[in-house]
Amino acid sequence: MKRFPIFGWLIIVLGILYFFTPLVGTLEWSLRIVSRDSFSLNAYTNVLMSERFQRTFGFSFIAALATIVVSVLLVAPTAYWVHLKLPRLRPWVEFVTLLTFVVPAIVLVFGIVRVYSRPPFSLMETEWGTNFLVIMGYTALSLPYTYRAVDTGLRAIDVRTLTEAAQSLGAGWGTIIFRVIFPNLRVALLSGAFLTFAVVMGEFTISNFILPGIVSFGPYMVNLNQTRPYEAAAVAIISFGLTWTSIGVIQLLGRGAPGQLAGTR
Amino acid sequence: MSFLELTNVRKLFGQVAAVENFNLHVERGEFVSFLGPSGCGKTTTLRMIAGFELPTDGTIRVNNKDITFQPPQKRDTGMVFQSYALFPNMTVADNVGFGLMIAKKSKAEIKQRVDEMLGIIKMFGLGNRYPYQLSGGQQQRVALARALAIRPQVLLLDEPLSALDAKIRISLRAEIRAIQRQLGITTIYVTHDQEEALSLSDRVVVMNNAKIEQVGTPFEIYNFPQTEFTAQFVGTLNTLQAQVRDAARGALVVDGQEISTAQKLDGFNAGDAVTISLRPERVAFYGELQKSNVLNVTIQNITFLGSIVRIQVRSGENIFYMDEFNNPFLALPKIGDQQQITFSREAVLVLKSGDARGKTF
Repeated sequence: MKRFPIFGWLIIVLGILYFFTPLVGTLEWSLRIVSRDSFSLNAYTNVLMSERFQRTFGFSFIAALATIVVSVLLVAPTAYWVHLKLPRLRPWVEFVTLLTFVVPAIVLVFGIVRVYSRPPFSLMETEWGTNFLVIMGYTALSLPYTYRAVDTGLRAIDVRTLTEAAQSLGAGWGTIIFRVIFPNLRVALLSGAFLTFAVVMGEFTISNFILPGIVSFGPYMVNLNQTRPYEAAAVAIISFGLTWTSIGVIQLLGRGAPGQLAGTR
Repeated sequence: MSFLELTNVRKLFGQVAAVENFNLHVERGEFVSFLGPSGCGKTTTLRMIAGFELPTDGTIRVNNKDITFQPPQKRDTGMVFQSYALFPNMTVADNVGFGLMIAKKSKAEIKQRVDEMLGIIKMFGLGNRYPYQLSGGQQQRVALARALAIRPQVLLLDEPLSALDAKIRISLRAEIRAIQRQLGITTIYVTHDQEEALSLSDRVVVMNNAKIEQVGTPFEIYNFPQTEFTAQFVGTLNTLQAQVRDAARGALVVDGQEISTAQKLDGFNAGDAVTISLRPERVAFYGELQKSNVLNVTIQNITFLGSIVRIQVRSGENIFYMDEFNNPFLALPKIGDQQQITFSREAVLVLKSGDARGKTF
């Protein structure tokens, strides 16, 4: 007779309590803006109608899209080339992509400020230059997620043989990358893209120290927490919702993907 | 001038020679197989023809044009891989038409050629399917159609059937040969399966240790192997220990019993120890047939293999096999019976070196 795994269930229940109690508390708090005895969505409407919310959210949204484009164009061809031609370099490239886990974001910020606030790279003097540096910083922060997602995608397809098959049919490198390799990394690229999106939307350190004032969503949330606690809770819930939606989309798109791989396995 | 010429081709990986002194001329429309064990250099040679590896030395010419250092996409070769290598994101029709799209053919021409190719591989109407919706055999037929659609000068097949089950392998290899004959395309086929090589090819290149052992028609390779390796690698082969009794008349002694060979024994002297080879199918029971050589043997074992029955016999120190065609009325001896077997002088081949005595390959 199969025993009821009580210990396993206990761990699950404790885990759920640990992770969800603060969330439920935040949600409950965000709904009490009018009075302690009734629920109201006023905090959410206040936030969504706020010009600062729209401006900072819009900035971070566009910055996230730009970061995704830069990350994909940087990581996917690199990972592809490492898989195809330089497999011995794979551990080193992995190490480099993990550096942002090891080096604190504040150190990255000081590095950026020191190098790019004086000649010959005085990028911090212009808005364009600052935005560019922020996106590069976001790209560095998202490297571990994007690289891992792409690397996993590349391991799932026979990169070398697909490349050689395309070459034997007359395809050049551009065609091979954009018509053969990238389409078969669709799910991996989307996973990396959504993770990058989630990272950029909540990023605080780089945004706060490099951008002038409260320009992006992360510093806006922190500032709101100090001045308008109910709205801050509402923004936290909205932020969670965004992240979970991203994860849900990854799961949805990834469903059934392994079965679509052809060839011998 | 031959259509495909490999001259003094050599390939080193570091200090290790993968291919040495490879010379081969292939005529237009010829089907040539590279046959050999794993690591013998056959796939490396094929990949050099395709352009995926560059030779360390030597030249490769196709249709009188030196392609030795041309990139793969400029070589006009079609390649079929063991793992099919269909593009998973494309339909069957898109896969087949991929090379034509690269060549900037018109949509009408691509559609016409794709339909023609799907007809040839008997998959007309399946153009909208994705590779994952096809069986292994179907996927490999699509891979073949994709390689043929660009009408390459040379078709290269790298163990294309080894991932398939036995029945599909046999039917697909017949299809490959029929399509190759129909289109008259010069084809190089890499395999480690001797049956495949012998049944498909106009000529077979037997390779071992990075070198060519023998080039010949399947008939020549099987019946007149020029090296011990070829004799052992192609087909089942018995090797027996013998001694030369009289080199002038081809007389040998096997376990005290005299036999003779039609082969010239120049350079051998009476008393020299030699290894002789004997195909199992060339040995029969005395009485069914009477040939020049007769040996007294003891029946050791009998194995039923479907179309043939393989009988293990012993003559003194030598243990070897003989094959009988199966039929419902076959009268088989019993294990332990004393029998006489017979074989012709032509069936006895004296091998140059004697390091494989008493083995059956």
